[in-house]
Formats: sequence, structure tokens, C-alpha cells
Amino acid sequence: MSILSFENVAIELGGRQILSPTSFTVNKGEFISIIGPSGCGKTTLLRAAAGFVTPSGGAVRRRGEVVAGPSREMAFVFQDYGRALLPWRTVEGNISLALEAASVPAGQRPERIRRVLETVNLAAHARKFPAQLSGGMQQRVQIARCLAQEPEILMMDEPFGALDAMTRESLQDGLLKLVRNSDLTVLFVTHDLEEAIYLGDRVIALRANPTPAQPSLAAMIDVSIPHPRDQLSTKEHPDFLRLRRELYQFLGHH
Amino acid sequence: MPEAILKWARALAFPLAVLAALEVYARTIAINSDALAPPTQAAQAFLQAVSDGSLLAATGFTLLGAGLGLLVATVLGIALGILLGLSRHAAQTSFLSVEIFRTIPSVALIPLAMLIFGFGMNMEVSVVAFATVWPILILTQTAVRQIEPALLEVARALDLSPGARLAKIIVPAILPRLFVALRLAVAIALVVAVTVEIVANPYGMGYAIMIAQQSMEPALMLAWLLWIALVGYIVNEAALRLQHFVARRMGAMP
Amino acid sequence: MNPRFPLKATAESLMLLAALIALWWLASHNEWVSKVFLPTPEATLSSLKSGLLHGELAGFSIDTINRMLLGWLLASLIGILLGALVAISSSARAWIQPTLEFIRPLPASAIMPLSISIFGLNAAMVMFVVAFGAMWPVLLATIHGFVSVDPRLREVATALRLSRTAFIWKMGLPSAMPDILAGMRLSMTVSLIIAVVGEMIASQSGLGQAILLAARSFRASELFAGVVLLGIIGFAANGLLSLAEKKLLRWQAR
Repeated sequence: MSILSFENVAIELGGRQILSPTSFTVNKGEFISIIGPSGCGKTTLLRAAAGFVTPSGGAVRRRGEVVAGPSREMAFVFQDYGRALLPWRTVEGNISLALEAASVPAGQRPERIRRVLETVNLAAHARKFPAQLSGGMQQRVQIARCLAQEPEILMMDEPFGALDAMTRESLQDGLLKLVRNSDLTVLFVTHDLEEAIYLGDRVIALRANPTPAQPSLAAMIDVSIPHPRDQLSTKEHPDFLRLRRELYQFLGHH
Repeated sequence: MPEAILKWARALAFPLAVLAALEVYARTIAINSDALAPPTQAAQAFLQAVSDGSLLAATGFTLLGAGLGLLVATVLGIALGILLGLSRHAAQTSFLSVEIFRTIPSVALIPLAMLIFGFGMNMEVSVVAFATVWPILILTQTAVRQIEPALLEVARALDLSPGARLAKIIVPAILPRLFVALRLAVAIALVVAVTVEIVANPYGMGYAIMIAQQSMEPALMLAWLLWIALVGYIVNEAALRLQHFVARRMGAMP
Repeated sequence: MNPRFPLKATAESLMLLAALIALWWLASHNEWVSKVFLPTPEATLSSLKSGLLHGELAGFSIDTINRMLLGWLLASLIGILLGALVAISSSARAWIQPTLEFIRPLPASAIMPLSISIFGLNAAMVMFVVAFGAMWPVLLATIHGFVSVDPRLREVATALRLSRTAFIWKMGLPSAMPDILAGMRLSMTVSLIIAVVGEMIASQSGLGQAILLAARSFRASELFAGVVLLGIIGFAANGLLSLAEKKLLRWQAR
């Protein structure tokens, strides 16, 4: 069932066309990975979907309604987690912000905060300040805050890009587990091809500097690798290697 | 440059509106007030003060008092600051004494200065000097401490005499920070000078505005108030421009 | 102040202070400077003791402290409120900011004549000027703090659909807190100075008036005692605020 549709979405910035008219739909519960070289507009596309940016052409529709601005149904996870958290609030306080914004009654908040912290495995650190946490933990706090919104769609802009490889893998698996236990729809932007295939049900590859002959949408491929996935065996799966080979060219390697 | 004119127009719009409102208010509701006068009358009083020389005399006195006090403080402050910056030992030894002296509010010394010097230039210069020497000293000391250690090693490697080391390495290295300190000190100097005149010294702009109030001349009082503000603004702007100029010439970040 | 101050350095610091006091003792006993201007250390101490225990110095100190605190609280409240109002409206900022920059260098004591015309020579007059003068550091710091809210946080606020008031209360104000607290500390210094000036001019009960009278009656030891007390008050106020600042900002990364 289609939950988000991109209808000829085109984006222009500073006179240049970043994204040529692009169309595709996202179904409920799907995990869409979006990859592409720098400047291909993947982040801008995500921000347009979240309502931060208005497309210069076409529209993004959520459940049929045009996305005109941000809404709590679409939670956005930023790459620079350090700047997206409130440094003066504890982990609990940061999660609470989302609940306060949604006018959740104060009595209900502690329980919801606890639940969401357990989902990201941070229950033990509830009273700490962001500055006392590692990068990976801070990003988990941000994700937890987004989950506290109880969104339909989770939008993630290179969320693990600033983390080291081990932390990244751990968070990838955490994310997979989380998504499998819910009906969240995820749009995940990354420049890491393996990450995109590992996590996604579908991978969308974008091109930079689109022309009419070579539009932004370069490829859209289903990932037929079964769940549950793991860091070792999945990455040796023949489909994984095949997809990796196919999509490699779209990252700007020639 | 229509853009610059527009910027100026917008900057002046609010104060002009306030002055216009004051004009109306002072001529109607507050007519015969001892406190408020129409700005047009203040302008007349201002021109009168210009033509009879009192404006120049008073402004000159205040600026001279502030300037001389600043000069004394600069010489002492920079000399001591460099000494304390270069010698860790001296800095530690002098720490308590400096901390104690610099917390004495300069206004508390006005009666003492009055006692020693009586009224006049000396009294004002001494209070201004006391008030401004501390920020200059401390900022110079910090600046010297933060000289790139490599530069000091270069001085040693080249076997420069202390005088040459001072002139060729230390002073040029701290010059931008010195002018930042100077800008701060200039602001303090002017404020202290005017304050000394308002409290005690029967000379200068501070005294002039007090006399205007005592003679129940609100127009003259308003004229002096605006003139003092203008002089302060111009002096501060000049110091700021100088600071930026030095920073650019010495290749430092402003 | 460096908390890891080695014992030797502290001892040497105290020794210098003791040496300076010894110099003072010599200078006053040998009358290198007239006894009228320079009382002996013992005379100062005894004036201090008798003034505090049997005389009115304690009462004067409390009067000055009250004036300083009340003015500071008023100034901080108004400064934060006005600052927040100006900061959140970018159009208000554009129109008003230049005027604020113009008034910033104005010596607060220059407002005294106007205040005298309005209120007469009384406590209200002094309070008005104290509040006016002490307001500026807080006002400007608040504006700066609000304007410097991390743009990423603004986006988070947009994504969470925070109302304007919620944004100011939950994000703007806490984010601006470091700047505001620094401004409040500066404001306290200004508040003390103007309180003393006001007492001197308007003959209000307090240390300002006390030391002025002592100077006029050539009672040097009482003058010095008063100056010492003012220094202590300034030092203590600043120290307490610094501590409060650290406590409130303990979430800051080391």
C-alpha cells in the first residue's frame, strides 16, 4: 500500500537543477535506501519528502496529500547528531522534547520514554547529558527521540556517516531489528553502497548533474536478500555481490 | 550605492521616529517639563553651545582626560603584561595581587583621587588610568602567553637580543590582540571619564550635562546626552575600525 | 583561577601581597605620601573593624548591596525579556539593532541628570539609572545568544512542529543561557558601579556616600576602609555568580 509518492519531483538550487523530475512510490513498511555521489541531490530529495524544502517542480504526496511542510508523522534523523540534540537536557529530557511538542500528557511521558530508550538500548543512560555519551550513543538518542514521535515514516540522512565502522555496524543491526518489529517505513540516504544494500528492501540510485538523456533517477532495484540479515553471511550472499556490482557504477566510479 | 543608503535609512528610521514622538510629546503633554524637551530645541541649544565654544571645551577636556589616562594605562599595562606573559613565575607570583587590585571598582577611587589631586585633569587621568590598566594588562599577558611557541623558539635559535626579540617577534605577534584590548579600554576610558565628571570633577561633558540639569535646561541636557552618545559611538567605531585594520595588516583573524 | 595551583606558587603569590602591604606600611609610617592621603594599614584595619562592629559600615554595605542586587535583578529581567522579543523577530532586529549599537557605548551615568529631573534626588532615581545601565549587557547578550541558536536545532524544532513560545522557552532560552549568564555577570559589575555613583550624587545611604564624606572630611582611613569593602563586595558578587554559572552550565562539554 503506497504511503509516499514522488510525482515528478524536481529541485532547483541557486539556478542549477539538482534533481530532474523524479517519480517513484514507497510502500508502507518498506526500507528504501537512496545512494548516489556527492551533489546528486539525495539529501535534498529527503528533505523535500520531509517538508523542509519545497520542490521547484512536481510534488511529494503522503497518503495522497501534498507534503507542504514538516509533520510529526515523518521523523527526521540528522547526520550531525551533536547539533541535533539539546546539550542542556539529559537523554530523557531530549526524548521528552518530542513528547512535549506533541502535547502528550506529562503523566504518560515517563513510560513512553522508557519504552523507546529500551528499544535503542540506552535505558541505563537515561540521566546522562549528551556530552557524556559517545557518538554512537548520541545518534541512538536522536533515533529514540524520533521514535518517540510514533511516526509513520522515518527519514534518515546519512545517520551513521560520522561514526566509526564498528559502531556503524552495530547501529545498522539495531536499526534492522527495530524496523522489523514495527511497521515503520524508512527512507535512508547514504553514500555507503554496502550499507544501502544491507539495510534496504529497495535501493534507489541517483545521478549527479542530470540531463534529459541521463535523468536523476539512475536505477531502482529490489533487494531480494531475505531477512534476517547479518553482517557476515549477508555480505557474502550472491545477490548482495551482484547488486553491489550493478550499483557500483552509479556512485560515480568509472 | 543605493544599498548602502537603504541600510542607513533603515538604521535611522527607528531613532527618528522616537525623536519625532518625543518632539510631539514634549511640545504638548510634557510642555514645561524639567526633564524632557523637544529635540528641535535641543538642536538649538546644541548649536548655541558650539558657537560659544563650550561644546568644544568640554568635549576636549573629557577626551583629553580619557586619552591621557588611557596612555598611562597602555604603557604600564603593556609593559607589565609582556613581563607577566613571558615569565610564568612572575605571573603566578603576581596573580593574587592583580586579582585583588582589579576588583576595586574605579568609581570607589574617585573620592581618593579628589583628596589627592583636587579637581582637574590629574584627578580624572588617575582614575581613568586605574580603571583601564587592568584589562590591558590581563589581555596583553594572555596574548603573550598564547604566542605560537615556535616563534619564541625561532627567536632563541636566531640568538636575538631581548630588545630585538621584543621588537621583532613579541610585539608584532601580539599586536592584533593589543588592539582588541585597546578597543575595550577606550570604551572604559570614556565611560569612566564622563562618570568622574558627573560625580565630582567640574569640567568636561559630564559636568556640562549635570549643570544643564541643575539649571533646569532640559533642551541643553538632551543636547548633551545625545552628543555624549554620539562621541562615544564615534570613538568606539574608530577603535573598532583600527582593530580590524591592524588585524588585517598583521595577517591575523579580526 | 587555576584550581590546580601548586602550593609554591600560592605561597609566592601571598608573599608578594605581603610585600606590597609592607611597602604600604613603610610608605605610610614614613609619610612618603602625606597621611592625609595614605593611612597606615593598621589605621585602615581599625577603621574597618570599628566601622563594621560599632559603626554604620555594616549598614552602609548592606544598603549598597541591596541597591546593587535589586537593580541587577530588575535589569536582568527586563534585559532578558526585551532581548528575547527583539531576537525572535528578525524584522524588529533589523530596525532596532542599529539603535541598540548606538546606545551601547553611552555611559550609564550620563542618564543621571535626566533621572534626577524625573525623580529628584532619591533612591528611585538611583534605581532607575542602575537598572538602565545594567540592562545593556544582558539585553545584548540575550539577543546574541538567541540569534546564535544552532540552525540544526531550529530544524529540529520545525520537524517537531514546536510552537513559537515552545521554541523560545525550550530551545532559544536554554541555548542562549551561556551568553545570558555571562551578560548577567558583567551586568552585576555595572550595577555595583552605578549604585555607588548614585549614592555619591544623590546622598543616598551606602558605601558610596560614606567614602565621599570621608574624603571631604579628610578621614583617609575611613575612606580606605570603605574602598576595601567595595572591593570585597565586587569580588564576592563576581565569584558567586561565576560559581552559579558553572553549576547551571555543567552540561557543557569539558
